[in-house]
Amino acid sequence: MDPIILYIVACVLVGGVLASLGVHLLPVGGAPAAMATATGVATGTVMLMLGAAMCGLFTAASVATYTSNIWLVALSGAVASWLMMGVTMLLANLLYVFGAGVVPVSGRVDMDPITKESQKEYKTPQCDGHGVPNVSFISGMIGALLGGFGGALMYFALLKYANFEPTMAGVAAMGIFVANAIIAAYNIGGTIEGFQDPKFKRLPKAILTCGIISLLSGVLVWVVANMGGLIL
Amino acid sequence: MTVGGGPVVEEEKAKGFTFPPDITQLGIISAIIAIIIVIIPGLPAVVKAVGVIFALLWGTDSVRKTSKYGLGTGVPSIGVLAMGYGIVGALVGIAFTKYGSISVGPLEVQPGVLIGVIVMAIVGLISGVLSNNEKIIGMKIPGLERGMTELGMAGTLAMLLQFSIVAGSLNFDVVIEKAISTGLIAVMFVLSMMAMFHPYNACLGPDERRPRTLMVSIEISGLLCIILGIALAANPTSALGIADGISLLIFGVIVWIVFFVMFVKTAMREAYSTVGTGLIKTIE
Amino acid sequence: MLFAWMLLIVFLALIACMFEDLESDTGSQSNPNSQVQLAPQVGQVNRFFNKAISGEAPSYAMYCTIAGVVAYVLLSKDVNPLLAIPIGALVGEAIHVIFSVTAHVGRTAAQKRFEQPIYLDVLYGHLLPIMTHGFMATLCITAIAYIQSNIGSLSGMPALNHPFALPMLGFIWGITVGAIGSSTGDIHYGAEREFQDRPFGEGKRVVYHGKITRYADCGVRTQKDIVYFCAKYGGPVTGLTFGVIILFENWRSLVGMMLSGYLPGVQATAGSMTAIIGIGVGLVIGIALIVGNVVIVKWARKRYGPFVGE
Repeated sequence: MDPIILYIVACVLVGGVLASLGVHLLPVGGAPAAMATATGVATGTVMLMLGAAMCGLFTAASVATYTSNIWLVALSGAVASWLMMGVTMLLANLLYVFGAGVVPVSGRVDMDPITKESQKEYKTPQCDGHGVPNVSFISGMIGALLGGFGGALMYFALLKYANFEPTMAGVAAMGIFVANAIIAAYNIGGTIEGFQDPKFKRLPKAILTCGIISLLSGVLVWVVANMGGLIL
Repeated sequence: MTVGGGPVVEEEKAKGFTFPPDITQLGIISAIIAIIIVIIPGLPAVVKAVGVIFALLWGTDSVRKTSKYGLGTGVPSIGVLAMGYGIVGALVGIAFTKYGSISVGPLEVQPGVLIGVIVMAIVGLISGVLSNNEKIIGMKIPGLERGMTELGMAGTLAMLLQFSIVAGSLNFDVVIEKAISTGLIAVMFVLSMMAMFHPYNACLGPDERRPRTLMVSIEISGLLCIILGIALAANPTSALGIADGISLLIFGVIVWIVFFVMFVKTAMREAYSTVGTGLIKTIE
Repeated sequence: MLFAWMLLIVFLALIACMFEDLESDTGSQSNPNSQVQLAPQVGQVNRFFNKAISGEAPSYAMYCTIAGVVAYVLLSKDVNPLLAIPIGALVGEAIHVIFSVTAHVGRTAAQKRFEQPIYLDVLYGHLLPIMTHGFMATLCITAIAYIQSNIGSLSGMPALNHPFALPMLGFIWGITVGAIGSSTGDIHYGAEREFQDRPFGEGKRVVYHGKITRYADCGVRTQKDIVYFCAKYGGPVTGLTFGVIILFENWRSLVGMMLSGYLPGVQATAGSMTAIIGIGVGLVIGIALIVGNVVIVKWARKRYGPFVGE
């Protein structure tokens, strides 16, 4: 059996599963977070994950022009993605603290699992938390790290093993990434606070679904590369 | 994020053929027209643009039917999913072009591309079943399986037709060189995805009416034809030369003007009132 | 010369994201728009512009990609970049205005039963501000995409050109700019300006939702009253976010290239070391950000104290 198909399918599968794991770790509050009614970043799940992954894809593409090591390319994408999330969440916190005058607290747990600060007395009543507390921040950074790694891994597999051109590999990687991210977003119902949220326990179902979809996509990509004569 | 209002009302099934056709009839008509046009890549660009309009109309209808029940993440996500599937399906389609190619007179018929459509329909069905099944993701939306299948097919057909407009043929190497490496695939992805979800998102509310919503879809397809016409006129690909691109541009402009004016006039007529200016009131 | 071009990209990124946030406040797009949509349903007829074109990320992806494609087509016909990039941005913005009109008119028409009229002066009066703010953002993003895809040729080392095509770069930065503007700037609009008559210093409770501030300092409020407020804090902070991200990205790549000897002269053997140094610098910056967040949260908790009142 040709080992190329195993590499391509394995990379796409791992990339897709990491994408859905990353979506579950990002703290997304949706529309209520923009009104300081819910904890998390005030945007849609899929779009935030896609924004972070696109940053990662950009850096991974430029790194892939001067190195061929799969780990370095994927890690470059991961680090670019984690920087983007970190800066975005930090400056969003600046806006919450100085622009809206709220203390970043979580609404789902009574005590921050990492810094052991209590949350309840700093929270506005009738709100589900506001801002990006420390545990959500760290959860978001890890989520972006994994998501960026997955996206860059898929890009590298399509570029080097399936011999796609850079733009074509980028577009195809983005297409598969976005399908996985959307199905994972359906699983959490649109908003989640991070790994401390009870909704995080729904993770295995999304991993199963995204695994199946990524497996099919990986096989299809190999078929395209084979039929199109890109793999010799 | 969007907020809808009012309970969901199932629309009555129309008896016989109506205008505009009801959901199932429109789906079948659009599918047939798009499939016939996509397997003949030698047609002029204007004919292929009609195919694009129908494929995107089918997608819009499907997004509308599925989003009515509340997806949790908002309307845009399912449109992006459709086009994400569309990219993968179109790549599979163009890889199979050279198999089963028949020559009918001066035109070539290439049914091989339909393999991409069928494959994406299967993937859409699988993801729909996994999303709706209670033991797995459990969205519990009636008709999600059918909706995702239709979106997989509509996205792939729209993408394939746009490839054949810009590249002039559906051969693998030609399409990669002219449509994908130049980055035109990005604009096709984005505008098709907008054409699928913007109509329902823009007309969201309790008094939304399906014929009015569908007008927006055709209007956005007109904008897509204008952009593709500019790209095609700059790099002529088929035997008709630059006239192909210019005719597509003019076709897009006409379609856009007709449907935009029709939509704005209809919406202004059907709103509560349209006033030049005025004060506001509070209703307790 | 390479450093000059990279600094220019950082500057353009700052301007782009600032105007992106101000444009989304001019048109009331994305998350806070859910309040403008909800207001008539709770009886608060208003004179806001209800631009509901999805979130900011896909819509900015659309304008920037269209601008990128038109600019790319013109550039391939040997038109001067000074002419091609603004024309591309103009086409992108024309399409933006068309989408805004259909969104506002469509959403208001679907709210017939809540007696929300279409105010024509609100519709016509906001189209040009939306277009101008958006033009600045789209122009800067297209310029960034152009410089990045040609940075090698512009500074004499063609190997450094980014491998993606120009429209694809426009797409990537469009999504990123939209995601950032939606996450940071919209907080100032949604939590502060939309509920201006609620107390400062608390989250906006669910019972307040829909009851937005509809009266201005003199007369009835429209989006034009919102933009100048958000331009004092929300806009610049959003611009700073994207500028800092691009700065860190470029800076760590350059540090990697210089320390490993990849520059000058583009020696291929130093490629892996470049990537390793870049990753290391990125990890250090990320950890500094986490520490920064811990400091800010601690400061806020100490200064503000627990919630007082009901």
